[in-house]
Amino acid sequence: MNYFGLLIGIATLLIIGLGFPLVIRGERYLGYLWWPYMMGIGLVGISASLFISTNWLSVVIGVLGATFVWGSTELKEQAVRTELGWFPFNGNKIKPPFENIIKKWRAPHL
Amino acid sequence: MNWIGLVAALTAFFCIWVGHVAVRKIEFVSPTIWFPTFIFISLGLFTEYLSLITAQLPLQTALGIAGITLLWDALEFIRQQNRIKKGHAPANPNNPRHAKILAEHSSATTIDLLKREPTGSPLLLGERLGVREKP
Repeated sequence: MNYFGLLIGIATLLIIGLGFPLVIRGERYLGYLWWPYMMGIGLVGISASLFISTNWLSVVIGVLGATFVWGSTELKEQAVRTELGWFPFNGNKIKPPFENIIKKWRAPHL
Repeated sequence: MNWIGLVAALTAFFCIWVGHVAVRKIEFVSPTIWFPTFIFISLGLFTEYLSLITAQLPLQTALGIAGITLLWDALEFIRQQNRIKKGHAPANPNNPRHAKILAEHSSATTIDLLKREPTGSPLLLGERLGVREKP
């Protein structure tokens, strides 16, 4: 029996679980326009995993990166949820650098 | 270079994506939720079993992650039905189970309230219903 895959599966579940508060809190305090930065952090994580020789650590960093990339695609819908009153709305968000450029891009949603 | 992290990241991302879309589509049309839940639990357990008997590390990792996401998706069917009851996801009047929910829960709706762009401020009740799901 090879338990590595199962243990990694369970670890993945826990890491994805972190994605829920990440999206909710991130949208509340920062706003959905931070999505390119969140996606960037995720892509850096996935790239970094290539240079980690310890298998379990490489996997954890890779999945953490994937969670950030997925989370970046969920920020826009979360913003709509707060505007609908399903989650607390915060009017004083910290604006992202280059906000005006980001506003011209279509925020991803999958 | 160690590719195992990339394999795990791609597997996690695509399994979350496919699961996210599949749960919503299947729950929308399925007359029962126990049947898709049962199928996803079975597939998830079988995928984990395949992971346990696979010696090759990248494949074992991908199967381990895919199996757990299938088990999570099984749980999501009941969560999705609760979203329908609250009106947080659109109900399908042609699905007898959803028709019953529409009759019993005043919060349930056929309108997809999330299908809009953020405006930057909270929406008033009238504005909320302004956007209808495209036929």
